[in-house]
Amino acid sequence: MNLERIPNEEKLQLCRRYYLGGFAFLPFLWLVNVMWFFKEAFLKPAYTEQPQLKSYVKKSAMGLLLWVAVLTTWITIFQHFRARWGEVGDYLSFTIPLGTA
Amino acid sequence: MRKMEDLISINYVKLLIIALFYTCVSCSSVEKKIYVELNDTVPCVRLLNATHQIGCQSSMSGDTGVLHVLESEEDLDWILNTGPHPPYMIVMETAFFNRSVMLRMKNSSRVSGVAVIVSKTGLAENFSPHTTCPNQNTGVYSASYGPELANCNVTAWNPLGNGLSYEDFSFPVFALKDENQTQVIRKCYEEHNLRVNGSAPQYPLCAMQLFSHMHAVTDTVTCMRRTDLQNRFSINPEVMCDPLSDFNVWSSTRPLNNSAKGHKANESVVIAATRLDGRSFFWEEAPAAEGTVSGIVTLLAAVHALQPVTQQAPPPRNIFFTFFQGEAFDYIGSSKMVYDMERNEFVIDLDNVHSMLEIGQVGLRSGRNLWMHSDPVSLTNSSVMDEVTKMTDNMQSIADGLHISLAKLNVTQPLPPSSLQRFLRVRPIPGLVLADHQTSFINRYYESVYDDAENLNVSYPPNLSPDEQLVFETEEAKSLAEVATLVARSLYKQAGGEERNLNNITADPRIVAQLLYGFLIQKNNSWFRSLLPPEVTKKGANSILSSGPPQFYIGVGPRNIGPVHSVTRFVQYIMANLTGAATNLTETQCQNPESKDLFSYFWVSGPSSVNSSGEPFCVRAPVRLAKAVSPAFERMEYGSRDYSTWTESRWKSIRARVFLVASRELEMLTLGVGVAVLLLSLMVTYFISSKADLLFSSARETPTTTY
Repeated sequence: MNLERIPNEEKLQLCRRYYLGGFAFLPFLWLVNVMWFFKEAFLKPAYTEQPQLKSYVKKSAMGLLLWVAVLTTWITIFQHFRARWGEVGDYLSFTIPLGTA
Repeated sequence: MRKMEDLISINYVKLLIIALFYTCVSCSSVEKKIYVELNDTVPCVRLLNATHQIGCQSSMSGDTGVLHVLESEEDLDWILNTGPHPPYMIVMETAFFNRSVMLRMKNSSRVSGVAVIVSKTGLAENFSPHTTCPNQNTGVYSASYGPELANCNVTAWNPLGNGLSYEDFSFPVFALKDENQTQVIRKCYEEHNLRVNGSAPQYPLCAMQLFSHMHAVTDTVTCMRRTDLQNRFSINPEVMCDPLSDFNVWSSTRPLNNSAKGHKANESVVIAATRLDGRSFFWEEAPAAEGTVSGIVTLLAAVHALQPVTQQAPPPRNIFFTFFQGEAFDYIGSSKMVYDMERNEFVIDLDNVHSMLEIGQVGLRSGRNLWMHSDPVSLTNSSVMDEVTKMTDNMQSIADGLHISLAKLNVTQPLPPSSLQRFLRVRPIPGLVLADHQTSFINRYYESVYDDAENLNVSYPPNLSPDEQLVFETEEAKSLAEVATLVARSLYKQAGGEERNLNNITADPRIVAQLLYGFLIQKNNSWFRSLLPPEVTKKGANSILSSGPPQFYIGVGPRNIGPVHSVTRFVQYIMANLTGAATNLTETQCQNPESKDLFSYFWVSGPSSVNSSGEPFCVRAPVRLAKAVSPAFERMEYGSRDYSTWTESRWKSIRARVFLVASRELEMLTLGVGVAVLLLSLMVTYFISSKADLLFSSARETPTTTY
């Protein structure tokens, strides 16, 4: 879809939909939202829907950052302690590497 | 014109396919030019129990190192401290394969693997990679049963044991058996890696890569849990380890109804037992001559000797012969049988057991001595004491008649590692263990690759054909035949047989000689072939009848080597042929007999003569297999302290190869040049495509005009 050809109301609608969709534990929707509408929200000359669009993009970005922070922390902890947790570590794993503790 | 173009494009595709094909062919030949694969290698693999992992493993993509042949202390210093090309792949003669050297390598980061040349040259006076106290924690002696006897406090049974087999190495260790391959390695080493006047050799250097990546890790508990989890959740389930398991072989002089389990009324049996397996540091490389074969051969010869007499003058009690599998790994076979007896899942139960005679290591009788070991703790029970005294007195008098010096040991020494201990754990059964050692083992190569025919002094005069060797009665065969006679007569007496029949029981040294030849020298011999089913003999070298002696490591059962371990199969069929009766059933009748309650039926090849392959026939014998898997796995108690928990890790590939490596600088230079060429070509392409209009303006117009 080419954003250039869409009227501003529809852009806002789309951005809003992605923003709300992200709450369903789908941080990638927020990532897409930020990437897609960043230009529209911050670089384009002002238009009526822009402040709202801006707020959606900002909120999406914040949510995304939160996800990234949480996931990074968890993955670091998990990778570091999985072997030491023993049984719990195995139950938390989906695939278990062969030949390493 | 269009058609022509199609044709041309088809031709291009063809060309491309051919080109690809040739690249593949040539790439494999390039690989052959670079690598020399070593085929006849034996790895050390990872085994796990409830608490530990032992054995060796490489990284996933194999461990590589510059070859260094360890020939002196100086070499060791070069490898561990001064040599400029770490990590090193060590090739060593047997003489250096000992605990101190191996532990120094284990603690060094400059060693990437070890290849041991297994040969008899430079073999140490003694070498046992086993522990000093075999099956320390799963025998009968513990804090609650003769605490002062526990942990081999009184007698260290295997004082020569250095415990190497129970170490965990993080690098691969392989055994090289093939002389030619050893030569290839040596040549490569001498041409490229030899130090000249103490200075470091120059690149290219000879290197070796060993692959033995093990899937299981930590201990049996972890690996069984992970296997279980993977099988439940993963889309790509992966088994990481398998319990060591196989089959016990048992038989009895009077057939027992195998379909009725539990207590048998009016049945009292004397158990005659021995073990069926051994081990060594390396995987499936366990000759176990003195450790196991001496016992197997003695018991089989005794079974044979007893056969006619027990048919003509059956003693009041039954004699129950059993060969326990997996005894080297915390008594797998005997603990399973006792467990089944307790739960009424075996043909007889413990109430049916009158007494037990176990044959330990009996092959190295110096000065013809034999010793009867008994358990001092159960002897405090007066009825056990009486029975054991009776038993020893009987054996003593029989031995005197045979001019064997047999001595009873004083009651302060515990039993050596033996299956009897597993019975004593649940009940004070009167029992003796017959062995050639008074205190610690005489065997200097216990559970090692050197416990072979030579250790038992089984050798043949030169110029004998294989068939002559088969029946040649060595001193060892005569000696074991004597022991077998003693065992057979003692069993008959113990079963309540009459004194006057004893002299009719004599083990045949010829049978002993044949058994020794089959188990120690060559399993693919005419006698074994005649005893086995035709489908085994027809397959010849591809079946369990490959060339050389059998190996006695228990393995993981049906997954790898057909339905049953080769030794188990041999013992089963030998026993069937020695004790069974030939029937006139046809092959189909033999395979599906009317009733299997009392007897098993075996379709065997029959003896072959020079010009015919023998007439197969059906043998009926009360010989059975019983699953030998530790009860810990049935009860899913993978951390069990009472039962064996040994498992063997799985792996994808085990191989070894030798090749030349260039210096790191040259490798980096090659890579750098490659990357530079890539970048240059990208730039050129970009430049050409951006200036395409200019460069190809005239060329473009010509083809368009033809349309």
